[in-house]
Amino acid sequence: MALAAGIGYTLLALGPAFALFVSVIAAKPLLVLFVLTSALIWLVSLIILSAFWRAFLPIGSSWLLVLLLVTCVSFQELIRPVFWFSYKKLEGLLNALAQRMSKPELKYYETMQIALAGGLGHGIAHAVFFCLSLLTPSFGKATFYVDSCKQMPLFLVAAMLSLSFLIIHTFSMIVAFNGYDDGKRSLVVFAPAMHFAAAFLSLVNLFQGGCMVGVPLVLVCAVGVICYCGKIVWAKVGDQDTAISMSNRANILS
Amino acid sequence: MDGRTGLLESVGAEIMGIVMPVSTCMLLVVLLVRCLTPHGSDVSVRSVATLVYTEKESDSTSQKLEGALLNSLALVGVVTFITFMLVLLYYYRCTKFIKYYICFSAAFMLSTMGGTVVFQLIQTLSIPLDIVSFLIFILNFTVVGALAIFMSNAMPILITQFYLVMIGMLAAFWFTMLPEWTTWMTLVAMAVYDLFAVLAPGGPLNLLVELVVSRDEEFPALIYETRPVARPDSDSNAGASNDNQHRRRWRSQNVRRTSASEDAGPATELQPQTISSGGRNRDLRDLMDEERQVNRDVHEDNSEGRENNSNGSLLHENIGSDDESIPLVSRESMPSVQVTSRSGNQGTHTEQHNITMQRDDDDDDHEGLNISALSATGSLRLGLGDFVFYSLLVGRAAMYDLTTVYACYLAIIAGLGATLILLAVARRALPALPISVTLGIIFYFLTRLLMEPLVIGLSTTLLIF
Repeated sequence: MALAAGIGYTLLALGPAFALFVSVIAAKPLLVLFVLTSALIWLVSLIILSAFWRAFLPIGSSWLLVLLLVTCVSFQELIRPVFWFSYKKLEGLLNALAQRMSKPELKYYETMQIALAGGLGHGIAHAVFFCLSLLTPSFGKATFYVDSCKQMPLFLVAAMLSLSFLIIHTFSMIVAFNGYDDGKRSLVVFAPAMHFAAAFLSLVNLFQGGCMVGVPLVLVCAVGVICYCGKIVWAKVGDQDTAISMSNRANILS
Repeated sequence: MDGRTGLLESVGAEIMGIVMPVSTCMLLVVLLVRCLTPHGSDVSVRSVATLVYTEKESDSTSQKLEGALLNSLALVGVVTFITFMLVLLYYYRCTKFIKYYICFSAAFMLSTMGGTVVFQLIQTLSIPLDIVSFLIFILNFTVVGALAIFMSNAMPILITQFYLVMIGMLAAFWFTMLPEWTTWMTLVAMAVYDLFAVLAPGGPLNLLVELVVSRDEEFPALIYETRPVARPDSDSNAGASNDNQHRRRWRSQNVRRTSASEDAGPATELQPQTISSGGRNRDLRDLMDEERQVNRDVHEDNSEGRENNSNGSLLHENIGSDDESIPLVSRESMPSVQVTSRSGNQGTHTEQHNITMQRDDDDDDHEGLNISALSATGSLRLGLGDFVFYSLLVGRAAMYDLTTVYACYLAIIAGLGATLILLAVARRALPALPISVTLGIIFYFLTRLLMEPLVIGLSTTLLIF
């Protein structure tokens, strides 16, 4: 049971990431490098934040916790445009390289795969540091409950929360990339908004028995991000198809 | 959308070729450490790395620091001495001796250390196994391993790579048994040593590289070579069968490569190698055609007076291990270096320029140089010692907590990436340890002192962001 539980929690938290990695990322070395880079960026951001907050630990009052969440999420959201901006620089280099190697330039779906890889790197790093390192004891016998949540083991809560954040990080990166590319403000704001929403919803867990409400709400956020991301990309792919068929038709007519 | 021809698939493949085995080696060491020494039990082990001082829990911090410093200096002294001995041996052309020595030490490591590790695993996991099967298994493992390293040309590259990773893993695992302070000081000392040995004008590795370059031969050492990825232009029709073909082509180009080396060496360097072949758009369906064409290209190139087939190559290191030890514990490493030059196919001549790597493709222009290390035109080599010390760092981190392992892993890979980028810029043999080890150590302590309290505090209150 012990081993099964540990593996179960791990798969719950990281199973989707693993599936995405194997099916989309693993075969493309450049994407793997993007995942590693963005995981490193996320880790550095976490270390900087914890260097700042280290002095205040342990945090007793809840307004400090709110402040901590606000600073952390804002800082990480500041990194997203920086990540996109450096990617844009790199994209120029890559396209030049493509030309030299006589290969096609990066297409829309390839850019989206890069965004996915970048988001997945954030998400995996998040899951690894917040959840996987916590899960190690779950491979042993017994389990662990915290006082404020007597309904579910801590490990289960951590696994589900980190699954939602993995999804939010991964797919909101795609939404944000689309937003930056097209200059649409609503898309650009979407990613930080969902990140803030999910982080504040996890505050519900502080209340007695709050995890029964907080965890599902965070999961709903994650589902919302996936659906929205799917809608955006679907619409954009549709647009491109129409554009291509229009231009084909124009060619034929002329 | 032919999946094989996109940019995403072709760029960075050889970086992954290095990152993958390094990651595998680290993963295995972490698993071994977690499995066999769950609480970081510092069994005091006598070995070369603890010549001067044996750490005890009760010693004061300054005593530990001083002792660890002396230990690491002693280790570096031994390593330097052995490296110079190797340079000397090589200078007097005792290549055979070096080769046999490396082969012997590899076999010795695989049998004794490998045997011990397997034995401990069997005990820990209580696997029922009779002694006869066990001995046969170890014997097979050793013999195949020694052959794979000794006659690497005759073996599939995967087997040689597997054994190199194994040797790196075993060496790193034994190093993790060093006391904590000594481990950290050793890492720092080896990184500094690596820096000087490779880059300083009189550094042993640098001397060796120059010697090898001037002789235009290869030096036997334990070096991990990536399989070069299929060249982008020639793989448009790639399929499974092509893979094989590319591989074979590559091997034939490598006729002279030797890699053997020793156990844990520290190592050293990473070097870019371009494969020379004139290869531009070739679409070869079979090996023969390909080789013929390569030759043709080569001749053409030569006639143009270009030195194409050369590769500068580079480096490595080796390690000497010393076997003086009694129970297998002492391992040392020595870095030595080696250089290899690779010759073009069938002996057409190679030239090397001092360690710079030269690019061979005629059709690339200069600005292409940087990228060439990143795009799929060559293979990279990494000394086994680098494997060992990376894994040692991660293995030591695993004794504290898994969080530090992930942080160290990312830091080391980032350092490796930075080194590879420098490699493309500098185009000479570079030490692979300093950047990675520095980053790894910094991240270890940052994670342990700063990040973990915050993360544990937050996640146990079920807050997350």
